[in-house]
Order: sequence, then C-alpha cells, then structure tokens
Amino acid sequence: MKINRIALISVGCVLMSFQSFSQNILDKLSSQSIDTTFYTAATFKMTRLSIGHSLETRKKGVLEFYAHTRYWNTFSDRSTSFAADKMTASFGLDYAFTDIFTAGVSFTSLSEQWAGFLKYRVLRQKPKSSILGVTLLQNITYESSRFTPTQLDNSIIDRATFTTQVLLGRKISENFSFQMVPSLIIRGSTAFDNDPAIQGALGFGGRYKVGNHVSLVSEYYYVVNKIESRTTYGAFALGANWEVGDVLLQFQLTNARIPTTDSFITETPFNFNFKNGYLVFGFNATYVFHL
Amino acid sequence: MTFFSYTTVENIEATNKQVLSLLKTDTDSIAVRMLMRAFSFKKSLMQEHFNESYIESDKYPEATFQGRIIDFDPNFEGTRTFRVSGEFTLRDIRKLLEFSVNCTNQDGQYSIAGDLEVFVNDYKIKIPTLLAPNIAQVIKVSFNFQY
Repeated sequence: MKINRIALISVGCVLMSFQSFSQNILDKLSSQSIDTTFYTAATFKMTRLSIGHSLETRKKGVLEFYAHTRYWNTFSDRSTSFAADKMTASFGLDYAFTDIFTAGVSFTSLSEQWAGFLKYRVLRQKPKSSILGVTLLQNITYESSRFTPTQLDNSIIDRATFTTQVLLGRKISENFSFQMVPSLIIRGSTAFDNDPAIQGALGFGGRYKVGNHVSLVSEYYYVVNKIESRTTYGAFALGANWEVGDVLLQFQLTNARIPTTDSFITETPFNFNFKNGYLVFGFNATYVFHL
Repeated sequence: MTFFSYTTVENIEATNKQVLSLLKTDTDSIAVRMLMRAFSFKKSLMQEHFNESYIESDKYPEATFQGRIIDFDPNFEGTRTFRVSGEFTLRDIRKLLEFSVNCTNQDGQYSIAGDLEVFVNDYKIKIPTLLAPNIAQVIKVSFNFQY
C-alpha cells in the first residue's frame, strides 16, 4: 500500500462521518474476550542475572554457548600495563530440552573446574494465577586440577561440590524484576577440618530495564556459615545487560573472581571496592542458537 | 494473521491466531482486534525481543483496526476485490490505512483476505543501529478472516 496524502485526507473526512458507528463495532469487539493466559515473559531475559543464575530458562530447542570471563589486578605495585594481571574464563553450553528444563556443562580455567547443572522451572509467573516464578537448580562442580593445595583425595565424590538453589522471583513491573535465591552447598570434602562441609547462602538480585535493550542488574549473596580457614566475603555484582539479537552481553563490576556457582558464593576472598586487587571486571558473552 | 520482515540478512515471520474480527454488512464496517503477545515466531528469543524490546506488549497489549469497506455490496456472490480504509492503532499510535482486500461470499459466509504494508517508523518502534540490517523498515502483514 502506498501512502497517498490526498487520499489520506479524503479518507479522514470519510472516517469522521462514520466515527460514531465504527466506534461501536470496535466496542462490540472489545467485549469479546481473547485468551490472555500467557506466562509472564522475560522476567530477567537472560539465564544468568549477572554472576549467578536467574530463574529464567530458554525455550525448547535453544542452545546457548557462552564465555564468562573475569579480570582483575593483583595487589602488587607492579601491575601489567595491558588490561588486567589475571583472568579466568568459564566456557559452557546450555541446552533447553523443554520450555521448563535446561541442562548445561562448563569448564572454568584457573580454578580448573568442570561443572554441570540441571535447571527446572517448577512454577512460572502468570497473571491472575501465579504471583511467583520458582526454578530449581542443581549444580555439580568437579575439581579437576591435578595438584590442589588442599590435598583433596582423588575420588570423584571428594572432588565434587553440590549446589542446590531455589530461585524465587517475580516480575514486579514491566521494568523491574526481583529474585531471592536460598542456596545449599555441599562439599564432598573440605580443605580444612574446621571448614563446614555444608553451607547455606541466600542470594538477592534485581533487574531494572533502563532501555528496550539494556538493563541494570545487581546481585548479592549472603553466606550463613562461612568457611573458617580463611576470610571470605559475600559476592556482590553491579552490572549492565545488553541484548543484541542472538547475542547477549553482560558486563559487571564485582568482587567474585571465579564464575563457578559454588566458588563465588562461598569463596569470594575480598570485599567489593574499587581498589587494585579488589575490583573484578566481568564480561559474559552468550550466543543463542535456535536448533 | 502473519507478518513478514524480509531483509538480505534475515527473514522474520510471525503468525497470530488470536485475532478477532467483526464484519457488519449493514454498515459496511469492519473491526479487528489482536493480541500482540500471541504472535508466534520460529525463534523463541526473537519472540521475547519482539514483545519486550520492540512492541512493548506489557504496555500496549493489543492492536486494533476499525474501518469501512468502500462500496461494499453484501449481496455479491463469489470473490470480489474491495478497498478498505480505516484507522490502525498500534502502540497507542493511530494511522490511517487504505488497502485492497479479497472478499468471498459463500452462501452468506464471508471471508476477507489480503495484505498491506506497515512502516516501522510510523509506530515509533526503534531498531538499534546494529540490528538495522536484520529488520525491515516495511513490514508486510497478511491476513485471512473467516466470519
């Protein structure tokens, strides 16, 4: 259809003349109900809020390939002039078997951990019927490094850490979403005898959409019983998420160095501040394949 | 109702089966009401982007059309082409549209089919510069209503 201004003006005149009854026909249609029972979509859009999991999973048949990278400087006065002194990267694949079930595997450099997770959406937020979304996450991390400072035994269970999370979240408004994440971390073996093998943590996270493609996110994990062999702090992240079609980018300022779920929750070694040695810059890049 | 976005980079197609339409043969008027969230895409993430970042379905859940079939004769038989003119409302923005439809009358059972073009810019749908090659500026909309 080509827009023709003269035609439009004449159409305008015609429109005015029958406005009254054409209004009625649309009113009549408005009284008809359309099925609006859709699940609330895109509570967080991305499957990771910033450093941790969000309650979101991808729809059936989607494969996500990602690199979660963290960069930081050491405390030493001598620092590299280019980028950062140290970095770690976690590479992984997540596949959505159904709209509510996703499984993923990843490998993290530096900490040399293999990890796998299963993620299941128990309840999805839905207008008028469900105010909350609930997702269960079971993660297993395997320490693969040949020489560990903690002299871990070589059995698979001794090197494994199990993290169970219940992700409870709600899209409160079209721009703001919030989630709470009670977490339980169980270690096959601990580094030192006085460290707890079972740790509890509570995560909080929120997303605020600042534009159609950009949102600000923040996360904090409070650890109930910390490990005792060294001082640790709760993991905090302040970040921006940016969507560009099939590419999802996440930038964060954090104190968490290792991207693996159990590691950043329980083993974040320093508090969050902007000084060298403390501040960690994080960058997650995810590519989405629709298979 | 289906819409198409054709570009050299990517072809996007989405179909909506939850569209209501009312045809009043005595006043030659026609109205259409559709739920934006009900558009279904091949790529599920694209569907999320469509609702969240482009159409903003939370804010503007529906699109409507009300118009008149020009020189409509309810007693015609078979298939005839008519012009339809009216007002299309998307994202609270009203635009006048005029387009041709094929109208079929089979023993008093009417059906209307046709297609028209919608300009993305008219409805303040912002496309990021990075994605400009992927999304067409002119979206082809085709429809088929049974009454």
